[in-house]
Amino acid sequence: MRLTSARLCVGRKYELYSMDWDLQEELRDCLVAAASYGGPIALLRNPWKKEKAASIRPVLEIYSASGMPLASMLWKSGPVVSLGWSAEEELLCVQEDGVVLVYGLHGDFRRHFSMGNEVLQNRVLDARIFHTEFGSGVAILTGAHRFTLSANVGDLKLRRMPEVPGLQSAPSCWTTLCQDRVAHVLLAVGPDLYLLDHAACSAVTLPGLAPGVSSFLQMAVSFTYRHLALFTDTGYIWMGTASLKEKLCEFNCNIRAPPKQMVWCSRPRSKERAVVVAWERRLMVVGDAPESIQYPWRAAKDSYLVPELDGVRIFSRSTHEFLHEVPVASEEIFKIASMAPGALLLEAQKEYEKESQKADEYLREIQELGQLTQAVQQCIEAAGHEHWPDMQKSLLRAASFGKCFLDRFPPDSFVRMCQDLRVLNAVRDYHIGIPLTYSQYKQLTIQVLLDRLVLRRLYPLAIQICEYLRLPEVQGVSRILAHWACYKVQQKDVSDEDVARAINQKLGDTPGVSYSDIAARAYGCGRTELAIKLLEYEPRSGEQVPLLLKMKRSKLALSKAIESGDTDLVFTVLLHLKNELNRGDFFMTLRNQPMALSLYRQFCKHQELETLKDLYNQDDNHQELGSFHIRASYAAEERIEGRVAALQTAADAFYKAKNEFAAKATEDQMRLLRLQRRLEDELGGQFLDLSLHDTVTTLILGGQNKRAEQLARDFRIPDKRLWWLKLTALAHLEDWEELEKFSKSKKSPIGYLPFVEICMKQHNKYEAKKYASRVGPEQKVKALLLVGDVAQAADVAIEHRNEAEMSLVLSHCTGATDGATADKIQRARAQAQKK
Amino acid sequence: MAFPHRPDAPELPDFSMLKRLARDQLIYLLEQLPGKKDLFIEADLMSPLDRIANVSILKQHEVDKLYKVENKPALSSSEQLCFLVRPRIKNMRYIASLVNADKLAGRTRKYKVIFSPQKFYACEMVLEEEGIYGDVSCDEWAFSLLPLDVDLLSMELPEFFRDYFLEGDQRWINTVAQALHLLSTLYGPFPYCYGIGRCAKMSHELWRNLEEEEDGETKGRRPEIGHIFLLDRDMDFVTALCSQVVYEGLVDDTFRIKCGSVDFGPEVTSSDKSLKVLLNAEDKVFNEIRNEHFSNVFGFLSQKARNLQAQYDRRRGMDIKQMKNFVSQELKGLKQEHRLLSLRRFQLEGRDYVSSPSILSADIGACESIMKKKTKQDFQELIKTEHALLEGFNIRESTNYIEEHIDRQVSPIESLRLMCLLSITENGLIPKDYRSLKTQYLQRASLHFLQSYGPEHLLTFSNLRRAGLLTEQAPGDTLTAVESKVSKLVTDKAAGKITDAFSSLAKRSNFRAISKKLNLIPRVDGEYDLKVPRDMAYVFSGAYVPLSCRIIEQVLERRSWQGLDEVVRLLNCSELAFTDMTKEDKASSESLRLILVVFLGGCTFSEISALRFLGREKGYRFIFLTTAVTNSARLMEAMSEVKA
Repeated sequence: MRLTSARLCVGRKYELYSMDWDLQEELRDCLVAAASYGGPIALLRNPWKKEKAASIRPVLEIYSASGMPLASMLWKSGPVVSLGWSAEEELLCVQEDGVVLVYGLHGDFRRHFSMGNEVLQNRVLDARIFHTEFGSGVAILTGAHRFTLSANVGDLKLRRMPEVPGLQSAPSCWTTLCQDRVAHVLLAVGPDLYLLDHAACSAVTLPGLAPGVSSFLQMAVSFTYRHLALFTDTGYIWMGTASLKEKLCEFNCNIRAPPKQMVWCSRPRSKERAVVVAWERRLMVVGDAPESIQYPWRAAKDSYLVPELDGVRIFSRSTHEFLHEVPVASEEIFKIASMAPGALLLEAQKEYEKESQKADEYLREIQELGQLTQAVQQCIEAAGHEHWPDMQKSLLRAASFGKCFLDRFPPDSFVRMCQDLRVLNAVRDYHIGIPLTYSQYKQLTIQVLLDRLVLRRLYPLAIQICEYLRLPEVQGVSRILAHWACYKVQQKDVSDEDVARAINQKLGDTPGVSYSDIAARAYGCGRTELAIKLLEYEPRSGEQVPLLLKMKRSKLALSKAIESGDTDLVFTVLLHLKNELNRGDFFMTLRNQPMALSLYRQFCKHQELETLKDLYNQDDNHQELGSFHIRASYAAEERIEGRVAALQTAADAFYKAKNEFAAKATEDQMRLLRLQRRLEDELGGQFLDLSLHDTVTTLILGGQNKRAEQLARDFRIPDKRLWWLKLTALAHLEDWEELEKFSKSKKSPIGYLPFVEICMKQHNKYEAKKYASRVGPEQKVKALLLVGDVAQAADVAIEHRNEAEMSLVLSHCTGATDGATADKIQRARAQAQKK
Repeated sequence: MAFPHRPDAPELPDFSMLKRLARDQLIYLLEQLPGKKDLFIEADLMSPLDRIANVSILKQHEVDKLYKVENKPALSSSEQLCFLVRPRIKNMRYIASLVNADKLAGRTRKYKVIFSPQKFYACEMVLEEEGIYGDVSCDEWAFSLLPLDVDLLSMELPEFFRDYFLEGDQRWINTVAQALHLLSTLYGPFPYCYGIGRCAKMSHELWRNLEEEEDGETKGRRPEIGHIFLLDRDMDFVTALCSQVVYEGLVDDTFRIKCGSVDFGPEVTSSDKSLKVLLNAEDKVFNEIRNEHFSNVFGFLSQKARNLQAQYDRRRGMDIKQMKNFVSQELKGLKQEHRLLSLRRFQLEGRDYVSSPSILSADIGACESIMKKKTKQDFQELIKTEHALLEGFNIRESTNYIEEHIDRQVSPIESLRLMCLLSITENGLIPKDYRSLKTQYLQRASLHFLQSYGPEHLLTFSNLRRAGLLTEQAPGDTLTAVESKVSKLVTDKAAGKITDAFSSLAKRSNFRAISKKLNLIPRVDGEYDLKVPRDMAYVFSGAYVPLSCRIIEQVLERRSWQGLDEVVRLLNCSELAFTDMTKEDKASSESLRLILVVFLGGCTFSEISALRFLGREKGYRFIFLTTAVTNSARLMEAMSEVKA
C-alpha cells in the first residue's frame, strides 16, 4: 500500500505477517519489548500496573517476529519495570530493585547484575535499554529522580548522572542520546529541557520552537542518534538534529493527548524526515509537510511500534506490518507514469513476455538515451527493496533482460542480489520469522545473521545458507556445527555416549571445529564424563590439556600433554601435579611417564638437586643414584671425609644396581683419595684429585720410586702400563741413567721401540740409538729409521726379505747420501722377484 | 678432479632468504627496546649471529656495547640491557643475579631477554622463582635455520644430541618441527617424506600438526623440494665415530670448523696472526677439494698453484690495454686465490695431514719432521685399527691397540671414541664366549681409562651406556629393573606414542648383521682408486660405506622401505614413510630430484660428502639440515662428564 499526501511522500507499508499468536491480553496491558533487525518480541503481562492481584504470577512470553512462540515461563522474580533486547538478542528485564535479569531467546536464564545500591534504595521509576556502537546499555531513572546508566551491559560500568537542580518530580519524558561516543540523557521538566552528561547538567533550548509550550509529552531519537523529535502539550511536534543545534521541520497535529509512542521513520542518508506517532486508537505519520497521513487503520488501536534502521515495524494482535520511506530506485520505477530508465526496462520486459513489439520500442528508448546500464542497476536495486518474491522476480527478470543488450555488464551485482534475496526470503519465512529488509541485512552482515539463526537453533538453515553462499568452512559450516554441538551437550535427557556419538558423526573432522570448546561447554553443564569423551575426538592433544586440568583429570592431562609433544605443556601439567598430589603420588605418576620424568629430571638437575635424589630413590634407580653421589663427591663436598662418604654411598648404590665394575672402581677411588691425603701429609705437594696414573707419575717425577711401585702394586696397575708410565716420566725428567737402569730391570713388556720413540721425542739421538739395537726384529726397521740410520734399516729389511719394510725404507731415502742404499734395496727387490 | 654436477642436476633453492628473515626479525626485536642499549650475547650464539648481522647492523639499531654472557658481573653502565641467549636455566640464573644486584644497589634499568630459537616455560619459571619475572620482558627470536652453505642448513643446536639422546629431553623436537614448517611455507610442501627413528617420527608428527593447523597457507604451492628424509643420529653412531679422511671432514676433525669458518693458527698461516677463513662453496678452490679424499688434495693443490703461476706469467706478453684489463679484473681474484691456496698448502705441509693424529694437533709448530713421520705411521695405524673394527677381524689386536692408546695417554676423547667403536661394532651376533671376551676387554679398557683420566669418567661411562654407545657388560645385565620396565613400557602398544630415549637402553647395535645386509664393507679386489671413487665408501678410504647414507640411498632407490624390513628390525628403530598425494602431481621432475636430509642429532662432513657423491652419481641434489655439524670428538665431549 502506498501512502501519499499532497506533499509528503513518506513511504509505503506492507504486511510482513498476519499474527496468529492468540494473545490472551491486550498489548497495552503488557510490558512489550521487540528487538530491532526483525528480532523477537517479549511480552510480560503486567500485573503490577493494576495494583491488584500481585499474587498472580505473570507470564513472560517470547515470540518470533512472526508470532511463533519461542518461550513461555512464569515470572517468579520481582516486579519488572522495563524490558528490552540487547544487540546480542538477550532479553534484559529491569526489576524495580535495580536488578537486571538476562534471559536468552528461549527463556533460558543467563545471568543477572545490579544497577547499584542507590538504585536499590530509591527503586526504579523508569528504565530504557539503548544501543550504542559499544553494545547495549541500560539507563535508569530512580525514585529520587536521578539517572544511573551503563553504556555496555557486557562490560558493566555504572555511571551516576549529575543531579538536575531543583527537580522535584519525575520528568515528563526523557531519552538517551549518543553523541561523540558518549551516552547522554535528555529530559524534559515542564517547559525546560536538560541535557545530562557524566560531568554536568545543562539547560538546553530548542532552536525555532513554537511558543506556548508548557510541557513536553514525548520525545524520540532516531535509530542512528542523528535526529530528535519532541511532542509538546500543544500538539506541536518539533523535529531537528540530536545536537539540538538545528530545527529541520515542525508540525502541528492538534491532538493534545500524550502519544503512546513516537518513532522516527527514515532511512539512512535520506533527506526525508518523518515521525510516526501512535495513540491508543490513532496512528499518524508526520513530516516536512503541512499535512499528515492519518492512518486509515481499523486496527490502529493497540499496536506497537518498533524502530528500525530504515523504517518502522508496527505490530498488533493480528498483523505485523512494515512502514518505510520508499527507496529511490523503487520510487523511480513505480512512480505513476515514470519515465525513469528502470521503469521503462520493466515495461519492456513485460511487453517482451507478452511477445509484443512494444518491448523493442521501450528498449530503443532507453538505449537512445544511453541509460541501459543505469536501468539494469535500478531494477537490481529495486528488487532488493521488494518484500514479495513475485515482485523481486519480475524486477530481476527485467534486469536480466536488459543485461542481454549490454556488452560488458559485470555480473556480480546481479548474482549477489539474487543470492542475497534468496537468503532474505528464506529467513523472512513465517517459520523463521526474521523480517529483515535488504538494508538491514547489509548493515547486520551475514555473519551476524548466521549467529542469530544459531541463536534460534536453526542450525540446518544456517548450514544451508553457508553452503549456498560458499562461505569458508571455518567461518561458516564448522562454526555452526560447533554451536550445534554446544547446544547438543546441554540435552540432559540424552546419554553421554549418544551425545558424543551424535556430535562426532555430524562434525567428523571438519576443519575449524574445536572439540575442546564443545567439551568445555559440556563441563560447564556439569557433564564431566561427556567432556572427557568429547575431548577424545580433539585431534590436537595440546588443546585437551587445559580443560582436563580444570576438570582435575591431571594424570590424563599429563599423558595428553606428552602426546602433544609440547614440552612446555608437559611442564605446566607437571607443576600442576606437583602441587596437587603428595610427593609420593607425584613421583609414582612420573614413573609411568618416562618423557615427563626426563623433563623433570633435567629441571631438577639445575634447580632442585635434592628432588633429583628423591626421584632416583623412589624408582630404586641405584645406577643413577650412584652416579648422583659420584657427582656430589667432587661437585658438592669439600672435605675429604665428606667425599669419601659420598663415594661409599655411591659404591653401595652400584652394588645394588649390580654394577660391580662401577662399585669396585668407586671403592678404588675411595682408597686412592685416602692415600692421596696421606701422601700430601707426608710429602707435601698436590695429590688430591689426580687420577691414579697421574699420582704415580707425580711420585716418579718427585723421585719417590718406591712409593710409586707400591702404589702400582696396590692398585694392580698392569705391567705394560706401568712401563709406559715410567718411561714417559723418566724421559720427561731426562734422567737417562735411571731410564737405562729401568730398561735393564727386566725384559720390557712393551718392547723397546717406545724407548726409541720417547728419546727421539726428547731429541736425544744418542740415547735412542742405545735402545734401537734392543728392539725386536719386527720393529727393528722402524726403530732404525727413527734414529735416522737408513743404511742399517735397509740391511735389516733386506735380511728380512720384507717387501713392505723395504718400501718403507725406500720412502725414507732422500738426497744423494742415501742413493747407494736405495740402489741396494732396488737390487734386493729385483733379486727377490727373480726367485 | 672435483666432479662437476651432471648437467641435469636440479638447481638448489635460494636459502639466503632465511638469513634475511632472521635478520629482519632480530632488528624488529631490537627496535622493541628503543634507545641505546647494551647487548649481552651467549657465547654459543656469537658465531651464528655473526653470520646474520654484523656489528655495524647492531650499532645501527642502537646497540652500544657488546658483552659475552659469562659468569662474571657485568660492567655495563647502560640504562637498558638486552640479553640474547639460548633458553637455558644457567642463563636465567645469570640474568637474575644481574637484576638482583641492580635491585640491591637501588638501580633501575630496563631488561629484555631474547630467547633463541624459542623460550621455554622452565626458563620463565626460574625467572619467577628468582623474583625477577616482572622486571624483564621476554621475546623470542625464532632463528632456527642458519644456511652455512648453499646446501647446508644448521640449527646450531649441539645440545640437541645430549638433551635428546642422553637425557631423553624432547624439548627441541618442537623446534625442529617449527623449522620444518618454516621450510615448507617458504619452499613449498614436500610430496615425499621418509624417516627413521623415534625422534624423526615425533618431529614429523608435530610438523604435520603444525601444517594442518595452518592449512591453506601452503595449499596450492608448488613443491620446490621433492623429498625429505628424517634421520636419527642414534641409528648410526658408527659413521660418526670414524676418523674423517675427506678434506672438509679432516679440517673439522683437526681445526674444528665453527659455524662454517675455521681459525687457522700461526702454525698454519706461518705468520704471527691467526686467520679466520670462511669455508663454503663460494671459495672455488675449497669447493673443488672439500669432498676429496685427503690423499688427492695435495697433488691437486700443487697443480693448481702451477696453473696460477702460469696465469700470473701471462702478464708478460701483454700490451698496456690488456694489462690494464688484467689488473683490474683478474689480478685481484688471482691474488686472493693465491693467498688462500698457499694457506691450504701450509695446512697440508705444516700439518702433514696424512700424518698428525688430530690428538696432537694443538702443537703443530713444534712438530719436528721426524715426529711427523712417526705420527704419520700412527695415523695409518689408527685408520687400520678402525677398519679392522669395522670389518670385525683381529679384535684382540684392536683392543691391544686401544689399551696402548690409553697407556700412552694420548687423548681421552680419542680413546673413548675407539672404545665406543669397539663396543658398537662388536655388539650382536658374536658367539657367547667371544662376547664375554669382548666384555672383559672393554672392562679392562674402562678401568684403564678411569685410572688414567680420573674417576669422574665413571659418569661418562654411565652416559655412554645410556646412549647405547658403550655397553661394557653382557646385555642381560645392562638393564636395571627400572630400565627394563621402562623399555617394556615403550614397546607396549598402548604406550606406543610415549616415546622415550630410554629405549636406546634396550638397543643392540647389531652392526655386524646390518653391515652384511646392506653390504657396507665393499669387497676389496685390488687397490681402491680414491681418485675415481666408485661408491660412497671413498669417504672412508674405500673401507666402509656410511650406514646412514646407505639407508638413504636404498630408500630413495625403492621409493619406500619395502624390502628393508629386516634392516629396520635390526636397527631397532621405527621407520616412517609419508606421501602427500595431493602435492605429488604438482611436483616438477626437477624438484623431485631435490632431497632434503634432516639429521637429528648432527651429521658429519663425511656423510655430507658421501651424499654429495651419491647425488652426482644419480642426478640428485641433496640439501642437508642438521641440528649441528658434528664429528667423533664432539659426540664424545657431549657424553663426557668433566669436573667443573
